[in-house]
Amino acid sequence: MKALKLLLLPYVAAVVAAAFLWPAPAKGFIGESSRIVFFHVPCAWTSSLAFLVAAGASFAYLRSRNPWHDEIACAAVRTGLVFGILTLITGSLFAKIMWGSWWNWDPRESSYLLLVFLYAAYLFLRSAIADPERRARIAAVYALFAVVLMPFLVFVAPRITASLHPQTVINPQGKILMDTPTRAVFFGALAGFSGVFLWMLSLDARAARLARSRGVREG
Amino acid sequence: MVSSVLAVAAKDATQELRRRVATLAVLFFAATALALISYAIGPFGLPEDDRPPLQAALFWIILFFAAATGLPRAFVQEEETGTLLALRKTLPGSVVFAGKALFNFALFLAIAAVVVPGFLLLLDWKIASWGLLAASVLAGGYGLSVVSTFLSALTARASQKNVLFVLVAFPLVLPLLVTAIAATLEAARGGEAWMPLRVLIAYDGAASGAAYLLAETAWED
Repeated sequence: MKALKLLLLPYVAAVVAAAFLWPAPAKGFIGESSRIVFFHVPCAWTSSLAFLVAAGASFAYLRSRNPWHDEIACAAVRTGLVFGILTLITGSLFAKIMWGSWWNWDPRESSYLLLVFLYAAYLFLRSAIADPERRARIAAVYALFAVVLMPFLVFVAPRITASLHPQTVINPQGKILMDTPTRAVFFGALAGFSGVFLWMLSLDARAARLARSRGVREG
Repeated sequence: MVSSVLAVAAKDATQELRRRVATLAVLFFAATALALISYAIGPFGLPEDDRPPLQAALFWIILFFAAATGLPRAFVQEEETGTLLALRKTLPGSVVFAGKALFNFALFLAIAAVVVPGFLLLLDWKIASWGLLAASVLAGGYGLSVVSTFLSALTARASQKNVLFVLVAFPLVLPLLVTAIAATLEAARGGEAWMPLRVLIAYDGAASGAAYLLAETAWED
């Protein structure tokens, strides 16, 4: 595991370098702006993965009532929010270059912002409940309820109204419309960001476990 | 089970008829919001082309915020009156949840009974398909009632529950509101609304299923 962590740094550095140097900029985009796909989409993927991990850990908590599962769920939401905010920032950079303003209330921008609010609300909910067992149970129930309604926010609501957002990887044709270098760097970035997420998740959850063992109240 | 669900809804309705706290607050809010919008823009204050989408959005904004004034009381009221434990000991959580969601849906229909005619009269709202309008109000209202009831159970024993409810509810009901606005717009225009209606029904089904399965755990103590 330690070797994997040591390999992660050069791997992510290589992916970042390749993102700027290897694939040619995509047609139909201003300047080099299409390269944002190597950062923006992996951030969005990683935050979605984090919220799914949170739902899985919440389910495990409700079955086992083991506080470690609750700590993993909470760490996953916190880490997912970091990647969610990075998704919004990188999306906003792209919007400024392509559409001329930092924020356009595009349905996809708005739905992702609400997804961040949805999971920020998870943290608010936790902070409003003092009893640790009740906090863990209510937070787990909320995380499971939220993950059932999340697809409506991410996949359905943005498709009800017209959007300027470029076609996503999950598109109506069901094809990945990328050349080989773009595809290699893109999937390399997905793997790298997922690795970084798992590392951050492990650190945050272990810090929470340590705090619990020392009797420090969550806050 | 059905009789227990109806008994919980009837208990809430009887309590509400005695005190009329939620009904009066909700209806007063709806009437004030209608009067404000009518005063600000009137029937002809909006350009002809922009009128249908803006009216559909304003209609659902009034419904949502009026509902948010009353629907979260479902479990908070039990907590305040100290009857939560008695109710918990008497019936399974899922039955109590279903009964309270039913009462909240009835309360939503009461709000809609005030807002729909008020909107039609004060804003000269033109509707091409009444059936579609009824379907979108029923499907949207049902989803809103289910989600609000469930979140009320989660936030009833938290501190700052009123603020927390809005924070937690808004991102969860937004897809429902966006879809309900799209269906209502098609009802006004007389267009094809099967797609938003299907989404509304799917959302209602997903929310009901998840809430029903999680109700027991949400309300364990």
